[in-house]
Amino acid sequence: MKRSIKQYIAATAFSFSCLFATAQNADQIFKAAGSPATPKVAVSWNRYYDHAGITEILKKIAAAHPDLAKLQSIGKSFKGRDIWCLTVTDFKKGNADQKPGMYIDGNIHSNEVQGAEFSLYTAWYLTETFKDTRFIQELLADKVFYIVPTINPDGRDSYFHEPNTGSSPRSGVIPVDNDRDGLVDEDGYDDLDGDNEILMMRRKSSTGRYRIDPSDPRRMIQVGPEEQGDYEILGLEGKDNDGDGVVNEDGYTFQYDPNRDWGWGWQPNYIQNGAYKYPFSLPETRAVMDFVMKHPNIAGAQSYHNAGGMILRGPGDPTDQVTYNPQDVQVYDIIARKGEELIPGYRYLVVHKDLYPAYGGELDWFYGGRGIYTYSNELWTPYLMFNKDATRNPQDNSNFNFDRYLLFKDAFVDWHEYDHPQYGKIEIGGFKKNFGRAHPGFLLESDAHRNMAFTIYHAYHTPSLKIDTVTEKDLGNGLKEITATISNNRIMPTHSSHDLKYKIERPDYISISGAKTVAGMIVENADLNITREQTNNPEQIEVANIPGMSTVTVRWIVQGSGKYSITVDSKKGGVVKK
Amino acid sequence: MNKMLVCILGLFVYSSLSAQSGYSNFATQTNRIQALAKVHPKWVKVKSLTKTNGGKDIWQITIGSGNTETKPAIAVVGGVEGHAPLSTELAIGFAENLLLGITSDSIKNLLNKTTFYIFPNMSPDAMEQYFASLRYERQGNAVSTDDDRDGKNNEDGYDDLDGNGKITWMRVESPVGTHRVHPNDPRVLIRADVSKGEKGNYLLFSEGKDNDKDGTFNEDGEGGVWFNKNLSFKHPSFTQGAGEFPASEKETRALLDELFERFNVYAVVSFSSNNNLSTAYTFNPQTANAPILAGWLQPDTKVNSLVSDIYNKSVALKDAPASAATGGDFLSWGYYHYGRFSFSTPGWWVPKTKPDSTKNEKAFTVEDAAANYLRWAGQQNISNVFTEWKTIQHPDFPDQKVEVGGIDPFVLHTPPYSLVPDLVKKHSSFLVKLAAAQPEVDIINVKTEKLANGLTRITVDVINKGALPSHSKVGERSYWVKRINVKVNNSSTQSIISGKKIQLLNALEGFGSTQLSWLIKGNGKLSIEAGSPTTGSKTIEVTL
Repeated sequence: MKRSIKQYIAATAFSFSCLFATAQNADQIFKAAGSPATPKVAVSWNRYYDHAGITEILKKIAAAHPDLAKLQSIGKSFKGRDIWCLTVTDFKKGNADQKPGMYIDGNIHSNEVQGAEFSLYTAWYLTETFKDTRFIQELLADKVFYIVPTINPDGRDSYFHEPNTGSSPRSGVIPVDNDRDGLVDEDGYDDLDGDNEILMMRRKSSTGRYRIDPSDPRRMIQVGPEEQGDYEILGLEGKDNDGDGVVNEDGYTFQYDPNRDWGWGWQPNYIQNGAYKYPFSLPETRAVMDFVMKHPNIAGAQSYHNAGGMILRGPGDPTDQVTYNPQDVQVYDIIARKGEELIPGYRYLVVHKDLYPAYGGELDWFYGGRGIYTYSNELWTPYLMFNKDATRNPQDNSNFNFDRYLLFKDAFVDWHEYDHPQYGKIEIGGFKKNFGRAHPGFLLESDAHRNMAFTIYHAYHTPSLKIDTVTEKDLGNGLKEITATISNNRIMPTHSSHDLKYKIERPDYISISGAKTVAGMIVENADLNITREQTNNPEQIEVANIPGMSTVTVRWIVQGSGKYSITVDSKKGGVVKK
Repeated sequence: MNKMLVCILGLFVYSSLSAQSGYSNFATQTNRIQALAKVHPKWVKVKSLTKTNGGKDIWQITIGSGNTETKPAIAVVGGVEGHAPLSTELAIGFAENLLLGITSDSIKNLLNKTTFYIFPNMSPDAMEQYFASLRYERQGNAVSTDDDRDGKNNEDGYDDLDGNGKITWMRVESPVGTHRVHPNDPRVLIRADVSKGEKGNYLLFSEGKDNDKDGTFNEDGEGGVWFNKNLSFKHPSFTQGAGEFPASEKETRALLDELFERFNVYAVVSFSSNNNLSTAYTFNPQTANAPILAGWLQPDTKVNSLVSDIYNKSVALKDAPASAATGGDFLSWGYYHYGRFSFSTPGWWVPKTKPDSTKNEKAFTVEDAAANYLRWAGQQNISNVFTEWKTIQHPDFPDQKVEVGGIDPFVLHTPPYSLVPDLVKKHSSFLVKLAAAQPEVDIINVKTEKLANGLTRITVDVINKGALPSHSKVGERSYWVKRINVKVNNSSTQSIISGKKIQLLNALEGFGSTQLSWLIKGNGKLSIEAGSPTTGSKTIEVTL
């Protein structure tokens, strides 16, 4: 009884605060440029949401904007959580699944959480600014966004709700026998002090190689080669649970890597650490693959990771240079260079060369397997702390200074004593899991906005087709020549060069109806009248590609007169009629 | 009463088996498989891994005793290529053969130590084409695919132009022909070698029309994805039959999911055109040292030689045609991605013929598989394997002479059924001998030394009694292969002063050993256990 009253009070308080957040009087608010002033769905963008939280926000967006957003589950995680996809477009204009599509996901690695908030922010921003921003209206008339905030909901919740470091778990939660002893997850981290954080262990030692930094006693520094230290570092919080003489060697935090489970250049785990059984052997990656296979209109894709401030493209496989051919790299370069400009502190890099070799990654399959121009952004960079270069090394003094002067020491657990069963008297302390890779609250919204702007630029440059001109010429004998020029006035072609090489997607169809067609041809050079005839089924001319910022011209010879119409049908370029 | 009925049923089933007069279609395969489980419930379990898009079960037969998962196992796989009914016959036949001998001690002992996982047919959709009213060599399953990637599915398949119920060949007289008549056998066409100044006078196609008028014949017919191109090692993405990505098909995934959970499998034997049994792989340092492993590691090639010797002694077939695994294939997957010893054989091939002087035959001036086959078939009195060339009217060649005929489908790799029982017997004998060489862990030379009051040193040799290593070298690197776990089970009053309570050994060579020792404080008895799924386990008791 008591409990339900408490719940009732809490619920009322909550709904009151919601009212407050949303029901401010319009004349109390002065709109800040580029942000929705009175959004229908109020969301605080300075904190993180677990899977239930994400689910609720998505449902609210879909309910508040039924003509702009539709929510569906594209599959279930290993533990049965829904993998949500919010489709955002102007549903009143055109067929959503025929518009050039931009796919966005986040959180493939469990601890790389803010990709979900960045994706959610994008969905929220597009739907809330639609009302008074003409660019967004035009964008959603022409394009469709498929937004999947987390493709790893099990891992996300386990990162938040289980004791972890900022770097764990990377994996999903399917149990794996990492040390191959026949037992599963028998020796993981231990939250010795019970604070839901996995911190560092240190011990006083006359032969230690560390000492306390006099300028900040929270920080350990390594002593010089001839100096004597007074502490040793024992590693991450844990003990030898199974008595095999090793600490933390088989936990749930690194079972496998969901970003090594994709069907292009996949390699087994002895070559690519983290690979699971075979491409798409994990239910979450499989759900995404199924969705992408059913949506050939997806022309651009973005996957959000952390950290380091990077805009990454493939290849991840150093032996796969041929896939990323010069024509496609040109498209990649143009869009990513714009990204560097829009997101200060982020650099455009190539996975295998600038990061590390990675086989079977998501971005490689999207591009190699489906011909989709795809980036992975590594969100958060230490640059954002003081708007100047810094390192991500937790021992870097700027981390301590940032925590001290801007976060008021909220990100650090002070060293405290603990009696360890194997190590004896030790101390436990260190940075919390929400620091180092995840954005601190006050920087979350601004970086989400900048990254969103990059994906909008990317989406904007998916193909946009138009039937520019249709001209007629009388050939005599009741014959007429009809010439149509189709333009693509964006950077991306309807087929990436890699797509063309393997014929991944079918050709674009340019067809005429309502006229008796005698012959049809592609005009290769209008000035010199060089054409290539298509003898079979001339009503529907098959064009391999409509290049970016360019045109394609086709011609029919028809008999008789009368009304006719021309249709361009491209999987990645959309459908247009004249 | 019930038991009696089962027995009678069993006899009936067996008598119908021995009366088997031809290759089994899917329904008959299923009956034979179910019968095994019915007659030998103690030794045989049958389950369906999945159903294909064509609605056919992928059967798994487990043969063994007791807890089959704790015994070293061999996986036997047929139907790797849908156009080879022999492969399924060898797999089911092996199971039947083994159980025919179940009353003998040797087979009982074998099944107490070894488990067999048999997957008789990985391509049931495609294999049914062998028995269909229109017969042609098909490998693709019932999934609809766009083989020529033009945006349309199955728009240009074969056409039975001469209406004889099988797809053979079509030759078109042409001044720019690519083929000419074989000098020693006018029924056979061979490619004209332009570099030798030879002139062709025929164009050669498979039997059919250009249904979609794209200038190519029969390039996108019914079906589908080929199991032997759908696996993850060097997957030939975007080629016909490969599937859109590795393991895209239900049946592929079902088998892989099953095998990845069967940690006790130490060897995979499959029946396909890929062959490393009659001729073993040799070591190639370049591919074996490449960052992406593409050649067998040296110690594993030695194991391949050993097993190849067993094979050749058991089966005694000569002159195997050259075969190279071309990617996406099951043989390569078994080694490179599953980490087990993986072997494959076609099970049969056409022997090299000698000219029969009584028939005035002469040695071939040009070696050709079809010519050799026809000569062999003639010598063996095998008829009905060749369709005489017959002129037809062809819509795509209105003014040219077009003939349909040539060697029949399947015959080059499918022996007459009369040869099958002997092939089954020989391959069964090979598999039994392979099982006899399996890795088996033992603990020997147990020595205890009393060092002082209550302190004992224990020394043991952990050995492998089998000729095969406990794991392949590539398997030692894979986390889907378990290590050998050596555990000391001591009581609370005994403590381990030196040595590990749990110790993992990567592997033991064939007939190899490792010495381990511990210092134990305390009295009484303790036990030491060593084992892994691929070696079985052994426990000894030690008195301090």
